[in-house]
Amino acid sequence: MLKALIARLKQGFRTGKFPPAAPNLPPDFRGRPQIDDDISPDEFARAQSVCPVKQALFCDFEGAKLDMGRCIFCGRCAEVCDKIRFTKEYRLGVFSRTDLLVKAGDLDYVPPRQTNPAALALRHSLSLREVSAGGCAACELDANVLGTLAWDMGRFGIRFVASPRHADAIYLTGPVSKGMQLGLDKTYAAAPEPKFLVAAGACAISGGLYDHGNLPATPALFIPGCPPHPATTLEALLRFTGRM
Amino acid sequence: MTETRLFGSEAEAREFLDGFRHYENPPSVAPLKGDAAHEVAVGPVHAGVIEPGHFRFQCMGEDVYNLQIFLGYQHRGVEGKIVAADGNAALQLALAETCAGDTSIAAATCISEILESRDGSAPGAGAKAVRTVLLELERIANHVGDLGALAGDVAFLPTASFCGRIRGDYLNMTALVCGNRFGRGAIVPGGARVTLDAPRREELAKRIAAAKKDLDGALKLMFEEPTVLERLQGTGVVPREVAEQIGLVGVARRASVELNGDVLSRAQVRRTEIEEAHARIAAVLSGGASRGAAEAKTSGKGDFQVVVATAEAWRGPLVHAAMFGADGKMSAYRIVDPSARNWPGLAWALRGEQISNFPICNKSFNLSYCGTDR
Repeated sequence: MLKALIARLKQGFRTGKFPPAAPNLPPDFRGRPQIDDDISPDEFARAQSVCPVKQALFCDFEGAKLDMGRCIFCGRCAEVCDKIRFTKEYRLGVFSRTDLLVKAGDLDYVPPRQTNPAALALRHSLSLREVSAGGCAACELDANVLGTLAWDMGRFGIRFVASPRHADAIYLTGPVSKGMQLGLDKTYAAAPEPKFLVAAGACAISGGLYDHGNLPATPALFIPGCPPHPATTLEALLRFTGRM
Repeated sequence: MTETRLFGSEAEAREFLDGFRHYENPPSVAPLKGDAAHEVAVGPVHAGVIEPGHFRFQCMGEDVYNLQIFLGYQHRGVEGKIVAADGNAALQLALAETCAGDTSIAAATCISEILESRDGSAPGAGAKAVRTVLLELERIANHVGDLGALAGDVAFLPTASFCGRIRGDYLNMTALVCGNRFGRGAIVPGGARVTLDAPRREELAKRIAAAKKDLDGALKLMFEEPTVLERLQGTGVVPREVAEQIGLVGVARRASVELNGDVLSRAQVRRTEIEEAHARIAAVLSGGASRGAAEAKTSGKGDFQVVVATAEAWRGPLVHAAMFGADGKMSAYRIVDPSARNWPGLAWALRGEQISNFPICNKSFNLSYCGTDR
């Protein structure tokens, strides 16, 4: 007992200051990308040629676009093209799929605010039931991290629960493999209404590098990344419930 | 302490190994008979934030008579996609890295070695240093996390809390080197995309020293606590003979061969490996040469070639193998995660144990579902 108390004193208070203080991100952190308006077709083609993900970088009638829902944030495009760069912006969570598209010239970014009253009602208590469906477990590991004392999401009333019956939202990771389709559908169906689907990571949002299974509903929150940084996930969950 | 349990006959060993199946193809099992016989089914969706798998505990009262493990839920065709991506090294690397997220660095090293053996490129001294440092950081982060989780499962919360945070410190060191907490995109064929320059080395050494001090304190507390030792000792024993018979690898094999093969032994092996990993990082940071993190061997020539690369990942040896045809194209790819070899070890460890001992037995192995299912 005494030894444990002494160890506790030596370890000190270690819960991060984020939020409200800015998170401590690594110097090479790759956050929200930017594409300059004057990117030439040649420059765009060069960036596209090194992108490992199909359709993460594409061009349509509005011009060049980067789909954060597919991007694995490897940064290869920014290495070969100085009109594309990854900023330190970690607030990547959005409430609609189209908001994940970064357009050329889209340099000023303000994270969207929650207006859905059903989500705002979860402001002080959000119970998530995680379903891991065919991913690599990195998203799961970095979701688990939020429960450690360094992030301590419990102080905001957010927790992962064991049963879908207790859940306000299903937190999906992975591209939904064939083997997990039934498990995901049943788990989602078992959650009481009103319920939300949270798609975390490139796989859950778009299949990422893999084939995308069927989502049981349209996600109400998209958290891009491969995997999303814990700061990105925590901020997204807080903004989703109107606390940021 | 339970008595040594071995396979009585080859048929018994076959029957045991037959218990590991794809979920679509379960074995036919004769139900246990008797008043106390019952079966507990768990999964594929588990209670925690973990991967899917299905377990059947065949029990006599509180004791587990046999555990069957059904996997395959995580199968998403990593190997086939790597073959289809032939010529696109960036995609092949990303696929290998996402085979098992907690073993990304070892996987990237293996596939890089294979691609290097084809085009004759080789990593320089700087890239070798990056690979070694990242691989060892991956090992430390995972072992620290598992030791903390083990402490949590026996309700020893100080070490559980400390290690949960310290694991994050090591992941953040990986992010310091390459920008991603899992080392994604850091290693490429022929080298690495990042360098360990002087300021980074200095910062890394500083952070390691601080984290190591906290870690030593947290682990000492756990390994000196009688209630923890009492709970881990003699639980989930895999005797040396069985470990060799069923071909365990890595941490689990070391625990059975060098120590007693119980949960405590597997925890102690992890503690030892944490020390060894720190020594290897210190050697690299102080300017010592690195022998590289993986090894590739090639056989066959001309129109047909097989390349096998291995890296000592944190769970044990990770093996990647590629086959190349006459046209120079990749025709097959195979990944054998150390977990694939160790699942039978978990099932064996649980034989004769109380079903309530499953969490600590499971945590002492902490096997990868996605790495096995690919």
